[in-house]
Amino acid sequence: MSLWTTGFCIAVTLGAYLLSRLVARRYPSPLTTPVFFSAALIILVLAQSGVRMVDYEPAKRIMVFLLGPATVALAVPLYKNRHTLLRNTLPALLGLGIGSLATLGAALTLARVFGLPEIIRASISIKSVTAPIAIELAPLIHGSPPLTAAFVIATGMIGTMLGPWLMNATGIHDPLSRGLALGTISHGQGTAQAVSEGELQGAAAGIAMGLAAVFTSCIAPFVVPMLR
Amino acid sequence: MRSLVILLAQVSALLLINQAGYAAASAFHLSIPGNLLGMLFLLALLVTGVLPLRWIEASASLLIRHLAFFFIPIAVGLVAFAELFLDNGPAILLTLVLSAAVGIWLSGLSAQILGTRGRKKLR
Repeated sequence: MSLWTTGFCIAVTLGAYLLSRLVARRYPSPLTTPVFFSAALIILVLAQSGVRMVDYEPAKRIMVFLLGPATVALAVPLYKNRHTLLRNTLPALLGLGIGSLATLGAALTLARVFGLPEIIRASISIKSVTAPIAIELAPLIHGSPPLTAAFVIATGMIGTMLGPWLMNATGIHDPLSRGLALGTISHGQGTAQAVSEGELQGAAAGIAMGLAAVFTSCIAPFVVPMLR
Repeated sequence: MRSLVILLAQVSALLLINQAGYAAASAFHLSIPGNLLGMLFLLALLVTGVLPLRWIEASASLLIRHLAFFFIPIAVGLVAFAELFLDNGPAILLTLVLSAAVGIWLSGLSAQILGTRGRKKLR
């Protein structure tokens, strides 16, 4: 029974992903980015067929298994574009530092202006840090790990949906800068989006995701208590 | 068939490097996640020439091409927080959207301005 459910969940997820790729190619828009489109579709299908979220968990674990090796594989575009990246070390470092600080400051300020509870304010501040690091970082700044994880994933989706459009509108066309911005703000999902734009974008996003996470981990314990 | 075996062997190698990354992170109490450390390991192997690119390229490009897939099951898990998002919905959503927009715009713009200025200076 549960084996069937797991198989069903995997089949639905794969089907939604394949469909999302077709739809995204045909009708490119923020609403058809693979992660948002597929997740929304899967939630609908699961609800319709009476599968509870707990039953989706084993399937999720199986499918996420390859995320580790896939992250490791990002070393390949990094290696291929190493000369371009090394030539642009300074703008890249400054870009990701400015972006990380700006998003953290903006999130804390807005959350405070909107009067959100303190645990949400702390948890939302580090939403641009890749999930495995954000979960570790959250308790250090008095945030909640599961809440942080939710904000991280939501930010991954928001940046992926909004980022390319925003950068087109504001004239940011340099491939390295586009990848850098996507990786800095939207971590893994932003990197996946950057990969679809091109290899240099993907390489820049991969390294930005890593460095931005390290940078934010270092500054958050000092900056968050000040602004919170 | 043969290419499938090669692909599986390559993915296993990536898995092994990933595991090595996690092992190193916990052994040295680093606050860097293991998979990022694994990425740096693979980069080191490629740069030093210990591991030729063609040994790993097929599986690496396959996994990277479908990187977005792995985030779908994770995003489905957001349903668990539906209530929180509904209660504080507009405030949380605005905070997330605006802060992401500011971050992407400033980081992209500053990198582009500094990058192109630097390149002009070189010429």
